[in-house]
Amino acid sequence: MPAIEVDQLSHRYGNQIIYQDLSLRVPEGRVVALLGKNGVGKTTLIRLLMGFLHPSGGRCRVLGEDSHALSSKTRARIGLLFEGHLSYDFMTIAQIERFYRPFYRHWRHDIYYDLVDRLELPHSHKIANMSCGQRSQVVLGLIFAQDPELMILDDYSMGLDAGYRRLFLDYLERYLSRGGKTVFLTSHVVQDMESLVDEVIFLLRGGAVLQLPLADFQRDFRCFDFAYSDATPPAADALISTVDTLGSQPRLYTFAERDALEAHLAAHWPGVTLGQQQAMTLEDAFIGLTGKY
Amino acid sequence: MLHAIMLKEWLKIRWVWTAALLVHLAMLVYLLLALRHQFQIEHSEMIWYWAFELRRLLYTQIQFLPALTGALLAVAQFGPEMLGGRLRLSLHLPLRGDLMVWSWVCFGALMGALLALLDAAGLYWIVSLWFPHEAAISAVLTALPWLLGGWVAYFAVTLALLEPARARRLVYVGVGVAFLALLYQQRGYQEYDRIMPGLVGAALLLLPAVILPAHRYRRRS
Repeated sequence: MPAIEVDQLSHRYGNQIIYQDLSLRVPEGRVVALLGKNGVGKTTLIRLLMGFLHPSGGRCRVLGEDSHALSSKTRARIGLLFEGHLSYDFMTIAQIERFYRPFYRHWRHDIYYDLVDRLELPHSHKIANMSCGQRSQVVLGLIFAQDPELMILDDYSMGLDAGYRRLFLDYLERYLSRGGKTVFLTSHVVQDMESLVDEVIFLLRGGAVLQLPLADFQRDFRCFDFAYSDATPPAADALISTVDTLGSQPRLYTFAERDALEAHLAAHWPGVTLGQQQAMTLEDAFIGLTGKY
Repeated sequence: MLHAIMLKEWLKIRWVWTAALLVHLAMLVYLLLALRHQFQIEHSEMIWYWAFELRRLLYTQIQFLPALTGALLAVAQFGPEMLGGRLRLSLHLPLRGDLMVWSWVCFGALMGALLALLDAAGLYWIVSLWFPHEAAISAVLTALPWLLGGWVAYFAVTLALLEPARARRLVYVGVGVAFLALLYQQRGYQEYDRIMPGLVGAALLLLPAVILPAHRYRRRS
């Protein structure tokens, strides 16, 4: 059974359609990243999954239950990070731990304090008086302390410095090593995903979705230099994902192999000469797929 | 779990509640001094004439205090929850949403009731210093609609804060203001005695009503 199941989901804000017939699966025991540019509906999807929004159509199931009617037992199995590292700012480090502890049977206060003590702040320090990064450390510490089966993390890296992001990834690795854990996350720091995720889901404008294992994406998605002096540059179509002519070296991005691409360019843009295939980081590939703007 | 919920609610309202406690005590002291002053500058017979022949209320200083306190407690309790959508944090906790919301409002209402109890006991004691027991009881019965005003103000503001739809928020504020206006119509002693059970019954309906805006918030946040 998938940990998260979205079937033909539709949602709109007024006249603006966010998704139409969106379907995706997050298999159990996997780390799946939801990637997309600002405004494609990543946070909206998480709100729908946790039952904080009612979809216009379709169905979402989380840990086997309808997301609009999650039972208390199921909510106890889900560690949820809200966008902006939402927390009870009026509490101190110790008070917030004392507040959450009784709600979770497998509460690990040792993990919480291990993470939070790295801030070198007294336990009586109020969360409202912390920086954005410090606050996010507290909130992530609370989620790890829950020891949930499923973590849903909405932009977990927001406000975290490079060192703490690395520490978070170490903790996440340790958490995953216990087995049976699923993570569904969004982040704007795409480079972290490279060592972390098993699958990626690209959410594109208009609700189009592309889900595939990260290894397949890194293997099959390609970037080629090209030259087009005196000719019209190629445009995105069924074979070409995006074209970037803004940089000093024009590039196009595609899932097609070189031979197929060359034939395609010859047929449609005969003045274009295909250059070398370029190595890409995950972030390059993400921008290549979704475009710079 | 209940202990944890109470801890959170107390952390939110502790300063406002403590300030309210001090204000209530100060108002009772003021009432005590005002009555003592009256008895020092006037003959007892004259005060008796004002109070029981002209039916003039001698303790209107505390009239609006419960309603003001109720509104402030609701703001202190639910304002922080609504800022930035923090209510979602609570609604994700592994506890039935309706039980959680009821436990919040029961806590807030209980803390308000403690202040109302202080007002009632203080009023009884102060009036009984100069008047017979029957007059002290009458003072408490006369003040009952004002104390109920605290409950109504607390729930009206709570409903308005929890409600995600602006139009409904206005409806809740309107109902609250109308209810409060109804509770402040009296000009003499114990004028609400016969209608009080009905008013208390109507005010009790506000308790289950808080589930509706919380439910709507969950679906629309």
